Amino acid sequence: MATRIGVDIGGTFTDLVVYDDQSGQVNVAKVATTAEHPEQGVVEAVREAVPKTFLERSSYFLHGTTVGLNALLERRGAKVGLLATRGFRDVLEIRRGDRAEMYNLFWQPPEPLVPRHLRIPITERMSFRGEVYRAFEPEEVRRAAEVFNREGVSSVAVAFLHAYANPTHELLAERTLREGGFEGDISLSHRISGEYHEYERASTTVIDAFVRGRMIRYLGHLAEELLTMGFRGNLLITRSGSGAMTFAEARERPFETIMSGPVAGAEGAAVLARQLGLAGVITADVGGTSFDTCLVEDGRPHMTYQGEIVGLPVQSAWVDVRSIGAGGGSIAFVDTGGLLRVGPRSAGADPGPACYGRGGSEATVTDAAFYLGMLGSGVFASGTRLDAAKAQSVLGPLAEQLDLDVRDTAVGILRIVAANMANAIREITVERGIDPREMHLVAFGGAGPMMSTLLARELEMKSVVIPPFAGNFSAVGLLTSDLVQSVSRTRITTLSDESLVEVNHLLAELFDELETRQAKGGDEEVGKQKDVRLDMRFLGQEYTLTVGVESEGGAITASAQGVHDAFLRSYQRTFGSTLEEGVEIVSVRASLTTPLPTLELLHVHTETADSGTSMVKSYSFTRERELDFAVVARDTLQVGTVLDGPAIITEMTTTTYLDAGFRARVHPSGAIFVEPLRTMEA
Amino acid sequence: MTTRFEPVVTRAGADGSRALTEVDPITTEIVRHGLNSAANQMKQALIRTAFSPIIYEVLDFAVAIYDDDVRLLAQAPSLPIFMGTMSFCVEAAVAAVGGRERLEPGDIILYNDPYGSGSHPQDAALIMPVFLDENLVGYTAIKAHWLDIGAKDPYATDTVDVFQEGVIFPGVKLYSRGQRVDDVYRTVLANSRMPAAVEGDIRAEITGVRTGGEALLRLIRRYGLVDFKQAVEHMFDHAEATVRRYFEEIPDGQYRGFGMMDDNGVEPDPVPFEVVLEVKGSTVQIDYSNAPGQQRGPINCPLPSTVSASRVAISMLAGAGEAPNEGHMRPVEIKTRPGTLFHPLPPAPCFLCGWPTIQAIEVIYHAISQALPHAVTACSGGDICGLTLYGVRKDTGEPWTDGSPHPVGQGGHIYGDGGTMMHVSESATRFPATEVWESKNPIIMEKVELAQDSCGAGEHRGGLGIDFFFHALDDFFITAAVERTKTAPWGLLGGAEGRPNAAAVRYPNGERTFIGKATRLPVPKGATLEYYTGGGGGYGEPAEREEAAIRKDLREGYLSESYVRQHFPQLKLEEGS
Repeated sequence: MATRIGVDIGGTFTDLVVYDDQSGQVNVAKVATTAEHPEQGVVEAVREAVPKTFLERSSYFLHGTTVGLNALLERRGAKVGLLATRGFRDVLEIRRGDRAEMYNLFWQPPEPLVPRHLRIPITERMSFRGEVYRAFEPEEVRRAAEVFNREGVSSVAVAFLHAYANPTHELLAERTLREGGFEGDISLSHRISGEYHEYERASTTVIDAFVRGRMIRYLGHLAEELLTMGFRGNLLITRSGSGAMTFAEARERPFETIMSGPVAGAEGAAVLARQLGLAGVITADVGGTSFDTCLVEDGRPHMTYQGEIVGLPVQSAWVDVRSIGAGGGSIAFVDTGGLLRVGPRSAGADPGPACYGRGGSEATVTDAAFYLGMLGSGVFASGTRLDAAKAQSVLGPLAEQLDLDVRDTAVGILRIVAANMANAIREITVERGIDPREMHLVAFGGAGPMMSTLLARELEMKSVVIPPFAGNFSAVGLLTSDLVQSVSRTRITTLSDESLVEVNHLLAELFDELETRQAKGGDEEVGKQKDVRLDMRFLGQEYTLTVGVESEGGAITASAQGVHDAFLRSYQRTFGSTLEEGVEIVSVRASLTTPLPTLELLHVHTETADSGTSMVKSYSFTRERELDFAVVARDTLQVGTVLDGPAIITEMTTTTYLDAGFRARVHPSGAIFVEPLRTMEA
Repeated sequence: MTTRFEPVVTRAGADGSRALTEVDPITTEIVRHGLNSAANQMKQALIRTAFSPIIYEVLDFAVAIYDDDVRLLAQAPSLPIFMGTMSFCVEAAVAAVGGRERLEPGDIILYNDPYGSGSHPQDAALIMPVFLDENLVGYTAIKAHWLDIGAKDPYATDTVDVFQEGVIFPGVKLYSRGQRVDDVYRTVLANSRMPAAVEGDIRAEITGVRTGGEALLRLIRRYGLVDFKQAVEHMFDHAEATVRRYFEEIPDGQYRGFGMMDDNGVEPDPVPFEVVLEVKGSTVQIDYSNAPGQQRGPINCPLPSTVSASRVAISMLAGAGEAPNEGHMRPVEIKTRPGTLFHPLPPAPCFLCGWPTIQAIEVIYHAISQALPHAVTACSGGDICGLTLYGVRKDTGEPWTDGSPHPVGQGGHIYGDGGTMMHVSESATRFPATEVWESKNPIIMEKVELAQDSCGAGEHRGGLGIDFFFHALDDFFITAAVERTKTAPWGLLGGAEGRPNAAAVRYPNGERTFIGKATRLPVPKGATLEYYTGGGGGYGEPAEREEAAIRKDLREGYLSESYVRQHFPQLKLEEGS
């Protein structure tokens, strides 16, 4: 039943993970990403790593893709036209007036996805209450359809003011475009987002229109290929806002898949947290170019309801993963004032760090770490062999500029990059009123386990967890997805028992909408779970807090007093105090979760190979000198094994640096728990 | 003025570098990042808890962290024009309560005297001394705009002394040893038309200064006070070196810039002024001492505000895009003459002190452009086109108020055309979403649209201004603070002027009255308030503009055919096309 395949397309590699329900075994494969035709890479990976018989009995194909994201990054998408309320055709260009780089006099905002001559004003107007303030003029839309057809526009976004409050004019516009002979895709803002803020909603609608065609073609090709190869199960794709959706629904709502990459790792960490019973977790996903971090509380990643890509806002549920430009490939340099800097520029995969020997000529974090011995001998199971002389040759010139020796320079690079990551974690925790010292760090990605004890020490965290398959953990996270659909609507109303009745009417509509969407996906209706969240604030405030409220069958069961109390508790926890004002509901959020059969992801398969331990000299950050580190292969560690640092634990796709003063213990799940031995600290 | 005062010179971090030990560039870099992160944490705490959109949307605040000698350690991106004013404010607040020896852990001082804070009284600062085991190690400070603290009107352009501008708290302890001083707290709230909002925002400021204090202490404990202080000295020296290198590139000499205020708010005449930049080696002196005498209306700019304008202008150019600290300001001297527009003496009115600072920034760029035209942009719309609305809710009888600044066209520059965004003095600020604005105020926005032809022509043209039309659904009042309606934004290296700002009320009978600065102006139901924000000046000769760029401007409707015929004759247009 639950045999499944996960394929995650990253910038450099496409990761494939297979879970076999019969054997309980997890297998991992990696192929190079084929940027031009990513579906080919996916098909190749499946063909290579998954036998036909296995494919035929797989129930789920779970996919994480950067197709939509790349379309935006490279500006390769549909030619989009926009219908806007008369007087507001420039909303994409005027934005909110702010400067993203506030100390840069010459900063320019990103070019809008729709040029001005294709942004056509239409006479119509709604009030914020959803009352018609000015009648809709169909003739103008007919003329617009002619312009779009003449100009070769393939996708039209319609974003009228206050359409969330009354969609009638947008629906009329859609009908009129069709009558006018426009046959391309149409995205209506109220279907994309039910929330106010016209720039953000229009931006999201235009992004949807921009990526839609490409996404539909991509998903179509992929589905066809998999079908040909014998796959008969469900095709799912991860959402930016957690969970997965069917390919069918993704064709309707492509913008929801934009950030599926980093989200999978956060979701995997959430499953891990639930299975291990960890109440508070912070993820540290360190790849080649970026450090991604997310808070996971009570087994759920933190959500936000507005994201941003390449400077364009996306008004959609969004797992709150924050990125900074700090990873294994981040380049170290000495600035003109004589300070050592690290990142955000990265050597990426090509040429990569100098020690990879592929032509990299600048010192990276990986070069520094390897020079210090943190990566052991530098000979990996994957066959890669790092070049010590090259690492030294790029660190040398930096050391000279700084007037330090090479070791201190390398130590400095690691300290700076760890401090930058720790600052990012502090900012996301402080914002939420959370103390990182109460949390566990889940470290994964190629360089996460290497940085883990440095970060734990910097932030005085309780423990570090290195999950199984840490180097591919984002792909593993895909396998744990549930089917999720969500919708929201802005409806500003003072909290009272009467207004909750109204809210419940609205919720019934919203859940109806979700059920209709799901019917299109053609999924079995098993064990559905309906969740209700309300965006609330004190009367007069603008910012809202999103609070989960008690509900049954999609209707709120709590009284107004109960909802008020839940809001106050959440407010107190986030901000440390509350106000004595009335409370207002701003937006209503409904989500429908259909869990996939539970996956015992952490079932570990221990194969005791040659347990010979070697030693390597490496720098210890806790002792501030070189020590002898034991080098241990992860798959030789039995459940219950206790290993005290200094040690280096190697596995196929990552290396764990276990500094002196930390103790590792292999949990029955196969995860490695690392805790500081406080008494041993000097 | 009968007395003529001698000019005074203001410098930052007066005693210069105090670095003692060998440089540890690594700890310095970590501490520098840690301090900026601490300031960001303060900012987030403030934004997330603030009550008023003017704080969480408009970002009308500054958060900063100082060392125990009141030298700027870090400031989070917020309102640049508040940037340089905060040190004055901290110093004045500490002096007011009896000096640093009178400070105790848990104290928070409230300070809003315009002559020490460099802002109008609504910009109320909270200053918290930070103690490490009973030793003073620094200060966290937040200055944020309160909706109302009892000025003659919720916003005013016609005050004639500082006492009409709001209740002044000249440095009083709002918290003493962690306990709230209720007498002071109640006095604050009793003097506001919007006490609930002010109470919410005070609490947000308190959360912010405390968050910053904890973050600062965490950093100091991590590295130890001695190493921390040394890292800070090196951080200052590094920043100073960055700015000095910039000025070394500018040939020594005197560069003059000229500006003009439309009027002083109570008298109709324009108020011209001159700023002289004197570059000598790696030091720059910005000389305001020839400014006209202090004015009868509220455009006077107290010294801290003048210093701030200078520091903003310089940081944007010479700070290498980085968050500013004390070191960046060391090479900059500011010369002013007491009793003048840029160094008024109390009780001269100064409610609109932000407006001359905006003009001063443009004038400083004007002066620099004579030496290094590629280093600056042509003039922007040169204002924030401020608008405050207020009235009384018919259903509840409660007073309400809301307001916003507005984006303008930016000047063209060597890298390209100017964009359309907020003036650099408020560069991180956002104006409200129409959908949000309409849900709170009795207004329908008829238009928020780029204004065709509003830019200055040039090889790189200016950014377009915006037309904002606010249609009144009910009676209310406005205070308009729109400057630079009489002088057009200048072009650079042959670029043409952009359109100046304008504002008008179109009454239900069709009559239209233009306004600049106006206080408590009634806008009746059915009238439309029209704001036409200025366009940026052009950069370089229009004849040099590429044809493809001109064609694009035409196709997209940024420029009309008649504008193109007039300014870009190099493009041959077919007749009647």
